[in-house]
Amino acid sequence: MHIPDGIISASAAVSGYAATGGLTWLSLRGIRKQYVNPRTGIPRAALLTAAFFAASLIHIPIPPVSVHLVLSGLMGVILGWFAFPAILVGLLLQAVMFQHGGLTTLGINACLMGLPALLAYFIFRLRYVFGWEKPLPNAVLAFLAAFLAVAFGALMAALLIVHATPAYMDAAAERTAVMALSLAYLPVALIEGIFTAMVVIFLLKVQPDLLEGDRR
Amino acid sequence: MIAEAALSSEATGSLLGRWEARFKLPGLLMLIFSFAFVRDLRLLLPLLICAALIYRFSGLPLGYLFSRLRLPGFFLLAMAVILPFWSGQTELWRFGPLALRLEGLIGLLLITAKFTAILSVAVALFATTPLSQLTIALRTIGMPWLLTDLLLFTHRYLFQLAGDLRRMRTAARLRGFLANSLSSLKPLAYITGSMLVRSHDQAERVFQAMTLRGYGNTSLPLPVFRPALSDYLLLGAAMLLAAGFILAQYML
Repeated sequence: MHIPDGIISASAAVSGYAATGGLTWLSLRGIRKQYVNPRTGIPRAALLTAAFFAASLIHIPIPPVSVHLVLSGLMGVILGWFAFPAILVGLLLQAVMFQHGGLTTLGINACLMGLPALLAYFIFRLRYVFGWEKPLPNAVLAFLAAFLAVAFGALMAALLIVHATPAYMDAAAERTAVMALSLAYLPVALIEGIFTAMVVIFLLKVQPDLLEGDRR
Repeated sequence: MIAEAALSSEATGSLLGRWEARFKLPGLLMLIFSFAFVRDLRLLLPLLICAALIYRFSGLPLGYLFSRLRLPGFFLLAMAVILPFWSGQTELWRFGPLALRLEGLIGLLLITAKFTAILSVAVALFATTPLSQLTIALRTIGMPWLLTDLLLFTHRYLFQLAGDLRRMRTAARLRGFLANSLSSLKPLAYITGSMLVRSHDQAERVFQAMTLRGYGNTSLPLPVFRPALSDYLLLGAAMLLAAGFILAQYML
């Protein structure tokens, strides 16, 4: 879901930066409310960001192919408000170091991964609303959070690729392209949901305070 | 990667390498965004010449650019397969159900030229700027300190954790684990969970050690910043070029 430079129109790229600016401001406000000293959260967020980007190198076999994980849902579940800045920084590093993604599309790419991560954060927070502490309901919420995060991200990417690239298609072809691109991500969303639920069950058993960051 | 060790002496001694990062970053970013505005085919040649000149001023070998273009080039390859056959109405050539379309070909030409130009300037920018200077430049153009701190820390841990993960997966393989079906999802999830737990524990220790060494102390003096005349001139030239491309796009 990384859109490279030169693919989308300049207006879409500028809008992406504007939206990223707004979401970064919102996230920083959330972090300041959550932490007395926001600096205390940085090493943890940075280490986890690095861990997420290393983990996204894991390929899950779906015979006959294999897919790599997006992990935006898991980032939202664990990092909370730090998820959006962490994704922005991770994407910047990827663009700078590996030319993966793009500079003009950094804003767009941050929204494509960061907004679903925030959505996952809010879905997973429902466990406090319902007072769920047992593994099964938490795993169901984690599955929903990650599944919807990937599906939402894929839908946004498909809409963007079809509408903001110099592709001249009729309305029917556009609808087909959006549908095909979104459906292609459905197996990934399912795998990601199950994977995130398993990681959450593991963390609840081994170190539950890792999932409690947003309660502070 | 763009860490200091990766910078060759040719790149650091080049015109771009000597250009102060606080001027180079906004200057070249403006130019890169002006490239993104181009939609007129007549501007593609000047755009590519401009990008080639900037890359030439970086002192980097051409092979380095090609190696950097390889990974994002796959997306371009996918566009090359899709756009000319599915986009547009004007058919240039038909072979059974496949039709080559003019609008798709024009779209592909635009994307390829802009992609190559933007990537060339971006590679020149980052290969001649150490991460430490890049971070200072990002602060200068208004990036919040929380993001720049996060950037430095993440860069510090990225390779260490990739190594940790590699070792954990090797250990799992040595114990007979093979990721060859969907049933390997659970062990892979547990490996990821273990890595997150280890990272979290390490982060707590790192933060305590850094606080002892003065992290977060804002009373430390900042280094004095004295830009040279050449920094201003290069920034002016980049701004003029960027304005030129945007104006030309709207006037043509």
